[in-house]
Amino acid sequence: MAENEKKPTKPQSPKKHVDKGPNQRLRQRSAVLIIIILVLGFGAALSRLAFLTLVEGSKLQERAVDQQLRDTTLTAKRGTIYDSKGTVLAESASVWQVVMAPINFENDKQREACAKGLSEILKLDYKNVLDKTKQESYYVVVKRKIEVEQRDKVIELQEKLSKDYDCGNVISLLDDYKRYYPHNTLASCVIGFTGADEQGLEGVEYKYDDYLAGKPGRVITAINARGANMPFQFEQNVESEDGNNIYLTIDKNIQSICEKYMAEGIENNNVLNRGVCIAMDVNSGAILAMVTANGYNLNDPYTLPEDVQKEIKEKPQKEQAAAESAALSAMWRNKAVADTYMPGSVFKMCVAAMALEEGKISDNSSFFCAGAVTFGKDVIHCHNTGGHGTQSFVQAICNSCNPAFVQIGQLVGAEKFRDYYAGFGFAEKSGIDLPGEAEDTFWPEGQMSEVDFAVASFGQNFQITPVSMITACSAVANGGYVMQPYVVQKITDSKGNVIKNVEKKVKRQVISNATSDKMNEILGYNTQTAGATAGYVAGYKVAGKTGTSEKIGNQKKLSSFEEDYIASLCGYAPADDPQIAVLVFFDTPDGGAYYGSQVASPVFINIMSEVLPYLEVKTDYSEEELAYLGTTASDYTGMSIADAQAAVKKDGFTPVVYGMGDKVVSQIPPVSANLASGGTIVLYTDEETKQASKVTVPDFTGNTAVMANSLAASYGLNVSYKGAVSSGGNCTAQDVKAGTEVPAGTVITLTFSAAAGGGFND
Amino acid sequence: MAPNKRMLFRADVNRIYDDEYRAAQNAKNEKFFIRRPRQRKMKNAKWFDVGMGIDLPFCIIIFVLLIVGTIMMFSASYAFSYYTQGDSYYYLVRQLIFIVLGIAGMVVMSLFNYNKLHQVAPVVLGVAYVALLLVLILPSGEGGVKRWIPLGIFNIQPSEIAKFAVILFFAHWCSKYYNKMQLPKFSVLPGVAIFGSIALLLFLEPHYSGIVIIGMLTVLMLYIGGMKTKYLAIGGIALIGLVLLLAVTGGLTYAMSRMDGWGQSLEYTTEEMWQTTWQTRNSLYAIGSGGLWGLGLGQSRQKYLYLPEPQNDFIFAIVVEELGLIGAAIILLIFALLVWRGITLSLRAKDKFGKLLGIGLTSQIGIQVVLNILVITDWLPNTGISLPFFSYGGSSLIMLLAQMGIVLSISRTANIERQ
Repeated sequence: MAENEKKPTKPQSPKKHVDKGPNQRLRQRSAVLIIIILVLGFGAALSRLAFLTLVEGSKLQERAVDQQLRDTTLTAKRGTIYDSKGTVLAESASVWQVVMAPINFENDKQREACAKGLSEILKLDYKNVLDKTKQESYYVVVKRKIEVEQRDKVIELQEKLSKDYDCGNVISLLDDYKRYYPHNTLASCVIGFTGADEQGLEGVEYKYDDYLAGKPGRVITAINARGANMPFQFEQNVESEDGNNIYLTIDKNIQSICEKYMAEGIENNNVLNRGVCIAMDVNSGAILAMVTANGYNLNDPYTLPEDVQKEIKEKPQKEQAAAESAALSAMWRNKAVADTYMPGSVFKMCVAAMALEEGKISDNSSFFCAGAVTFGKDVIHCHNTGGHGTQSFVQAICNSCNPAFVQIGQLVGAEKFRDYYAGFGFAEKSGIDLPGEAEDTFWPEGQMSEVDFAVASFGQNFQITPVSMITACSAVANGGYVMQPYVVQKITDSKGNVIKNVEKKVKRQVISNATSDKMNEILGYNTQTAGATAGYVAGYKVAGKTGTSEKIGNQKKLSSFEEDYIASLCGYAPADDPQIAVLVFFDTPDGGAYYGSQVASPVFINIMSEVLPYLEVKTDYSEEELAYLGTTASDYTGMSIADAQAAVKKDGFTPVVYGMGDKVVSQIPPVSANLASGGTIVLYTDEETKQASKVTVPDFTGNTAVMANSLAASYGLNVSYKGAVSSGGNCTAQDVKAGTEVPAGTVITLTFSAAAGGGFND
Repeated sequence: MAPNKRMLFRADVNRIYDDEYRAAQNAKNEKFFIRRPRQRKMKNAKWFDVGMGIDLPFCIIIFVLLIVGTIMMFSASYAFSYYTQGDSYYYLVRQLIFIVLGIAGMVVMSLFNYNKLHQVAPVVLGVAYVALLLVLILPSGEGGVKRWIPLGIFNIQPSEIAKFAVILFFAHWCSKYYNKMQLPKFSVLPGVAIFGSIALLLFLEPHYSGIVIIGMLTVLMLYIGGMKTKYLAIGGIALIGLVLLLAVTGGLTYAMSRMDGWGQSLEYTTEEMWQTTWQTRNSLYAIGSGGLWGLGLGQSRQKYLYLPEPQNDFIFAIVVEELGLIGAAIILLIFALLVWRGITLSLRAKDKFGKLLGIGLTSQIGIQVVLNILVITDWLPNTGISLPFFSYGGSSLIMLLAQMGIVLSISRTANIERQ
């Protein structure tokens, strides 16, 4: 209006204040229009854009990136696990994964052909595969972990599909790996196994998963909406890094020796709750063998033994799943590390060592046993209820006299006892590089009563792990050094460069070298005198201590004995220069016996008598032993009868000739077989006679070595000895059953152990 | 204040005096079809005239938008073109040809004496009707939708012609009967008749967004043409009633099916719906990915077949993805300048026809920009509204540039900054 008035050129209208001139109206309406379009319209558009980009931006971008990027994982090869000698214990082998991009199918004919081919090759359900081909997806896993043969067939199918159906871009094969354990059950509790994605689940596989797993690689590609890579732009390739290789301290041979005899021990003694065997390098703490018997098949870790399966099937439907998972975890459990037990008399070696170390024992020390000790209302019995009477320190150990050890413990004193308990490493976890190590159970400071202490003095009522027991035993043997036990000695990368070398580690010295030497002497004497009941092995100076501990607790009693027992033996050899310590224990034997001397000792002897020669420990036979020492037969075949007879005689054997020929064609026992000197060598001059001359094997059990030898001679058989031959042991087993027909001259291996009726060395 | 600068801010010179208005008041009772004597100057007007010269700022804005639009069209179409045509430059080359043709048209139209259009306005409207009828007779295109008349190298969209025809006709009508526009028979009646008939034809195609834009343009033209606002209100209510009626009778099936996914493209409900809302969802992904600064020119990922036909209606989503909110705001600012400049220069045109025509043509661009952005941001249903200067398309681009030529022609008579 104001502007209108200013215009001088404009003639004044007769009506002074016409409401609106038409031109002004146009301008005003244009202004309204501009406001509507530019302010409201553009304002709305811009604020909407601002909202989407700034407020919702990150969320939208995330979703956009989700569809734009394809992240393909490149599996890394898991490292290999070797034993100390380089034998492969666990290994990953290349397998393949079949994946499909069903979105690339154009018609049902292609789908059907593909589904038919795949279901036949991979042994899958046709309908199932067909359903997968109908998905609108770029990535459908058809089957994982297929092996070479199947892969080759899939490649053929790919070619066929591309040629006949023009859809070669649907199936693809991705690299994958599968874990193999070439020795199945061997060292199962140590090695452990892996899950579906190759992640370690138990044992070393679990503990060293970070080393073994390697780093999976990734390929990140930008893809267009059809799933093809965008023609340019980012493709990030992160190469996969293969896992590291691990060398265990476990020696496959020692491990399998231990496993063999542990299985035998479990079988013979009807052990209800499995057994443990640990072999340790006394001077380094390296675990040479660790057995939780019986193990499980690492290639098939989810299958329970048949009897357990049967047991579960008998349970109500509801409880089956829980029972099965409980049974599986029990089967996988490494009893040597994850379980505790009462060491019983084995622990006496530690108590004796601490008493010696503290100087509480002199050569004149004597201990009296009346068969029981009384602490107020509590009466502690000796296993020899009649009492051992007055004994020297060494006798007390050899008698494994509980009242004597109560007195020895009192000499040491509860405080010192506790210090040594910790000193031997029982109060802490051993720190072994295996998962799930259990802690000990001991009286907290100030809560150990007089009776508790008395009982503890002979190894009862507190719980430790088997691995800490053998560590302590090694300390007793090696000069008092408590070692760090370990199972992994070396880690190398995939090219073989050493990443980590595990050195032996001394945690502390708990007793002096002198005390250790003294203990070696005493324990060696114990074994020599107790013989087969305490781990005696002919030709070697073995030191050891047996133990039979009661399983005190509220678990349900399993065995048919009055109580459940643990039978154990912990020993080492040679006593004068200890190299290897072995702990054998059986949880709840339910066979003929439950004493450590009867159950654990034979197994210990068997293990030691194979392991010590394997370790090339020098033999040191006593004269008595030499008499029974086997000699090996030479090769007499090809010689004339007279020459052969002379040669046999020269070797210290008796020749017997069978047959009508004039030359020796074969001999029994064969070349380099072990047989007692003076044994019979049967020389055959023709094959027919060999077939005809059969002898029936007699029953050798119950005979002493001398008796067995003469019995064998009378049958024209040979014998070789094993176990406690020289200390009056009786034959307990023979490798060829009585009543079997064998050719004359065959060597029968006889095993001698604890003389029945002899005093038990508890 | 310098005189020319003062003129910039001052309201325009009133060339039509108030006595003319009073004469119009007297003419209220005149009969509808009485011919008024034509103005002399129109009879003598030349067909082509350089006049006072074109408005340079407006021309510059057009070229800026054209250049930015073409670059973005190339960037957006690059991947789609590669995958569908096997040639990344397929759309660029064609668009450049259209631009050359369009600029030629623009130059011609800018020299053309727009007053001559006064006479042909009814003819153009007639042509639009013919085209709208023709497209219905021709075989239908994709999805049974008849929107295009194929003309060899490029297709013509009759609704584009209709839009222009409506603006032109109402500019012609309103300027002719400006004094009588207060009367419903001069404003409401032709408005309803023309919009109604065109809407019916578009409805048969169907092309709902065309109906919306034609409706808005009709209202816009009648509003600035001087129609009483109360009729506008009545018209608005009537329109809502009509839409409701159509909805009830089910005639909106196609649009409704598009509207179904409106505002819910980000949530998965059914597979069918997920597919229906695919384009809108990926448009939102693209916009969201842009953020404040964008991924950089040419760096869009959504154009790799995620966003279908990124060179068409949804091109601005790719623009936001690549240039971010900042880039989008700058482009919107240029559009706003275009609208502002177009309207202000039109107001300075020497006659009413020019003013109305110029305002109508520039407003149309503003309306299309706003509707396009609201569609790609899921505030309006996905109905197919192209973005001027950016979207790929031959006939619409040539039409657009020709229309801009008309505005430039109008600017030759405008005395803006040139007293």
